[in-house]
Amino acid sequence: MPGVFSPAANIATKLVLYALLAGLVTLAGGAWFFPNTTYATRQGIAVPQPVPFSHDHHVSGLGLDCRYCHSAVEVSANAGLPPTHTCMTCHSQIWTNAEILAPVRRSLADGEPIRWNRVNTLPDYVFFNHSIHVAKGVGCTTCHGPVDTMPLTWKGASLRMSWCLDCHRNPAPNLRPREEVFDTDWRRTAATPTGETLMARYHIHPESLTDCSVCHR
Amino acid sequence: MSRRDADDRGGARSAGLARDVAGRLAGKSGRALWRSLDELAGEPRVLEMLRNEFPGLPDLAEARVGRRRILELMGASFALAGLSGCGGGEAPDEAIPYVVAPPGVVPGVARHFATAVTRGGYADGVIVTHQMGRPVQVEGNPEHPASLGALDPIIQASILDLYDPDRSRTVLKAGRIAGADALVKALSDRAAALAARGGEGLRILSGTVTSPTLAGQIGALRQRFPALQWHRWEADGRDTLRAGAMLAFGRPVDSVLHLDQARVILAVESDILDGAPGHLRYARDFARRRRAAEEGDVGGMSRLYAVESVPTLAGARADHRFALRPHEVEAVVRALAATLGAGPAEWRQGAPGRMATAVDAMARDLAANRGAVLVHAGPAQPAATHALVHAINAALGAPGRTVTYIEPVEAEPVDHGESLDRLAADMIGGRVDTLLVLGCNPVFTAPADLDFAAALAAVPVSVHLGTAVDETAMHCTWHVPEAHEFERWGDARAFDGTVTILQPQVKPLWGGWSPHELLAVLGGETRPDGHAIVRAAWARRFDGSGGGTDEADGRRWADAVRSGVVPDSAAAEAAVSVAPGLAGRLPPASVGPEGGAPTALFRPDPWLRDGRYANLGWLQELPRPFTTLTWDNAVLMAPATAARLGLANEDVVAVTAAMTGAAGSVEAPVWTVPGHAEDCITLPFGFGRKVAGRVGRGVGFDAFRLRTSDHPWELPGVELRRTGKIRRLAVTQHHQMIDSPDLVRHATLDEFRRNPTFAKRPEPEQSLYPAYEYPRNAWAMAINLDSCIGCNACTAACQAENNIAVVGKEEVLRNRQMHWIRIDTWYESGTEGGAAGRGEPEQTLFQPMTCMHCENAPCEVVCPVGATMHDTDGLNVMVYNRCVGTRFCSNNCPYKVRRFNYFNYSEDDSRLSLSWNPDVSVRPRGVMEKCTYCIQRIREARIAADRENRPIRDGEVKTACQQACPAEAIVFGDANDPDSAVSRRQASPLDYGVLTELNTRPRTSYQARLRNPNPEIAEGRDDASHS
Repeated sequence: MPGVFSPAANIATKLVLYALLAGLVTLAGGAWFFPNTTYATRQGIAVPQPVPFSHDHHVSGLGLDCRYCHSAVEVSANAGLPPTHTCMTCHSQIWTNAEILAPVRRSLADGEPIRWNRVNTLPDYVFFNHSIHVAKGVGCTTCHGPVDTMPLTWKGASLRMSWCLDCHRNPAPNLRPREEVFDTDWRRTAATPTGETLMARYHIHPESLTDCSVCHR
Repeated sequence: MSRRDADDRGGARSAGLARDVAGRLAGKSGRALWRSLDELAGEPRVLEMLRNEFPGLPDLAEARVGRRRILELMGASFALAGLSGCGGGEAPDEAIPYVVAPPGVVPGVARHFATAVTRGGYADGVIVTHQMGRPVQVEGNPEHPASLGALDPIIQASILDLYDPDRSRTVLKAGRIAGADALVKALSDRAAALAARGGEGLRILSGTVTSPTLAGQIGALRQRFPALQWHRWEADGRDTLRAGAMLAFGRPVDSVLHLDQARVILAVESDILDGAPGHLRYARDFARRRRAAEEGDVGGMSRLYAVESVPTLAGARADHRFALRPHEVEAVVRALAATLGAGPAEWRQGAPGRMATAVDAMARDLAANRGAVLVHAGPAQPAATHALVHAINAALGAPGRTVTYIEPVEAEPVDHGESLDRLAADMIGGRVDTLLVLGCNPVFTAPADLDFAAALAAVPVSVHLGTAVDETAMHCTWHVPEAHEFERWGDARAFDGTVTILQPQVKPLWGGWSPHELLAVLGGETRPDGHAIVRAAWARRFDGSGGGTDEADGRRWADAVRSGVVPDSAAAEAAVSVAPGLAGRLPPASVGPEGGAPTALFRPDPWLRDGRYANLGWLQELPRPFTTLTWDNAVLMAPATAARLGLANEDVVAVTAAMTGAAGSVEAPVWTVPGHAEDCITLPFGFGRKVAGRVGRGVGFDAFRLRTSDHPWELPGVELRRTGKIRRLAVTQHHQMIDSPDLVRHATLDEFRRNPTFAKRPEPEQSLYPAYEYPRNAWAMAINLDSCIGCNACTAACQAENNIAVVGKEEVLRNRQMHWIRIDTWYESGTEGGAAGRGEPEQTLFQPMTCMHCENAPCEVVCPVGATMHDTDGLNVMVYNRCVGTRFCSNNCPYKVRRFNYFNYSEDDSRLSLSWNPDVSVRPRGVMEKCTYCIQRIREARIAADRENRPIRDGEVKTACQQACPAEAIVFGDANDPDSAVSRRQASPLDYGVLTELNTRPRTSYQARLRNPNPEIAEGRDDASHS
């Protein structure tokens, strides 16, 4: 009795099986890598805002200090977003009729806050504290990227837990002297104390920095 | 045994049960420790609770879900689980800054403001914590004399009350929305008409008022309305104390107690530790004196006697406690008075025979410690007892040492019962034309014989000011939403007269009125301003005291508001002495009821008081001391009485007032309480609200329906008839029980002298696991069982701080309450003489149980996903976002302190979302949780210390339970620091760990309890409690 399938069917079967296997591997690989893509993390993707605020202009161009607007960063968990009133300290004097600042003027007139779109966001079960990072010599740009060159702000880092842990396990490369924290142009030079020196100076003990309770409570 | 079987059992079982216990213990000698008679008798249902972590689980299998259906559901959940991975990143949130930042507000940094919470008119100072302008947490004010930084559950729950979504929001006229303008117009017109005839027919009804400003306003109104009458009604008020002072001294005075000066104390069903004004202060003074022995001063420990019918917290802490029928309590007080020379000698014969030895011994002990003794009676005792207490105190040299008499703190003190009677009579007689009801609910709480609802119908205009629409609001022509105490200006006085100025913590959420503003409208104002009224009143007062300039006045005001205490405002001492011939002025001694009908005793529910807190889920679900009952009240009685009446727990009985002929009958379930006096039953009032919010409506039964003006506390001759119905009660006593007899350890002072380390047991030292090292901090907690008074303040504080959900009665019945701290109640009795078999404890012990933060934690090793971890400081931390809900950890925890979110309790909670503590994750369904040692407070202190490059100071981290504890029973700190408070406590010879034989190395330890019995009574104590 002749076979139901021709010998060529063997090849077809094998091909199908290999294709299935390859598909599975691709899926698994995709599931592994997808969360790390900038599409998933939104890293480096500028977020549209009701007022196209440019850090590039205000920081690089005008030389404003980070703390002029993010005034709580040294004392609080939150860095703080500036109230409309802060914008108007200057913009009541300059660019008073600019079309792009209309929402700011309207906000002050109506008492309605400006609703910015969040760029850096963490899940509710993560309790991040700005003040301690600033106090221990982690610069603004270390996590937020080159904010001073961003015309529209984007996320400077993935903010994934593995990224947090990289630094919490080995903080030394990311530390700078406390007084340079807000310097957006800061670069490590030969005169800069080493990360290990700074860890000793600021009493940073990585062995306790990976406790779950540091961030989750 | 399934639940159905348990429900079917008959009432005859109870009598059998008592025999079982007696029989089981007959062959034994020594002491027995037990949690309930059911446990003693070896009830299978209780044994299951003892052995299983999830005892209700097999019942769920009865739900009959087929294998095929389970596979379908599993497949569907697996497939749907994949969906959650879809979607491109997270949807962008909005970040919304201020327009103009309020001065001083830094997002993420808490701010604190002082104010006070009043209960029954008396103030307890609090500090309210704010996050970005909204109040989130209440703590005691350490500078306030009544609080000293401590709290009780009711004060704690005031924050929940503020955010109660069921509070009323608009002015109502005859139940319809009317608006504030209509009210102002109507009230102004009415006031003008009333003023024309001198205020004839104008009445004000309020609770106890201590506010100087409010009293001043009413005084000022009398000028416009000379005939105005001010009535007072407080259902759980202190009329008997006032009447007692009138009998003894001829005028009303208040007593301030100094328990730190007292070496021997007699508590006559006293509420010094439960709810008396100043009870937090008293608890602290008492506990400090009790810790004297442990701290080296063995002779400095005080001794407490208690005679009472209904168990009180003071009774539980007593070295000798005698459960007596009400008339016997009075007889004992008379006999003591006679023995101590404060009454005629024939009173000595009145005491029950079995108390003869004890009365003599107590009298000798009291007399021997002259000047350092204190007798105190609670508000449910008759006026005669209070008068005799004053006489005994005077005879023993107490005044000026352990008790000071002060001018009454209540403004214009009156007899509330009489005041309300008169008002009701005038209302029915048509002599009341306009009635203002300020923040009280007489339709629900007034004595049943007054029929206050019917009386209200005869009043043309009645205005009710209340935070919620309640029974009284339904019967008044107007209802005005009252601003919460956290939303308005005001003032109030503490137990010693110290004034606190109440400052608003937040603008009225729903536009409430303060009583000051309502009275101002009556006085002719149309746009009253609560701040201006209170400020002006204090400007006059400050001027009167100091005669200062405007600037000085402003500074005094600012200081008083900031600190929460007006300096030097305590009440003046009253120079009084017991007028001679007291014995002649007293009514004849009450005699016991004739016949077998039990006497009903009315007592406030410890948390709901007169029912005003019924809508607060925290208080409904907080176990009551002794009964551990939640979400219900019950007819409480001694086990022996229940056996005699053929009743068992949860049998529903109809209670009727047989002898007095008072109308009404209530149906209520029975619950037996070891240590309750026999032949009397307690009917806790405050439950059974008919008009309340979604939480409090229709919970429990309304005992007010049996309470009459003639019998406010005690109703002889009630009839109990079995209805054949069963009502399941959500009692937590059998939940999370540990199967070990060695959990609470205690000894007498003599035993402690002979063997100071009686509480220590040999501990295993080897472990298969390598030991952890704790180079930085080693957080630890010490709980002193000798100081713990069982008040549940810690449980309530923990619930507020840690966003612990309320689960409801159904879920509590399933063993699923979420409290991270439970208070285990233990009874101890001798097995000889059958005292245990009759359910008569000699001692009641409370043991707060919470996560022990074991160094060798059994939970950590079984978690398959690493959701419960050991951290560098030795904390056993929960990572909620990792937890997948296997419950292995809970199953492996020998202390049974882990709690599982079976449902989305937090999301289903009706409380406003802005009331949660933002520093703590709100846990969703399927997640395990437990005590974290208030990790958020540790982290906050850690960050503050690290920012300044210094170690955390001792006392810088206070857990919520520690902060709330009035008795300082809980101490928390770093065990690595030998000088820390917790290390000193743990160095005590009384220190011991629970279940250390399992080598768990718990970080939480206990200090054993000490008793200071009178050797003259100790011999005969079995006889003494025999009845």
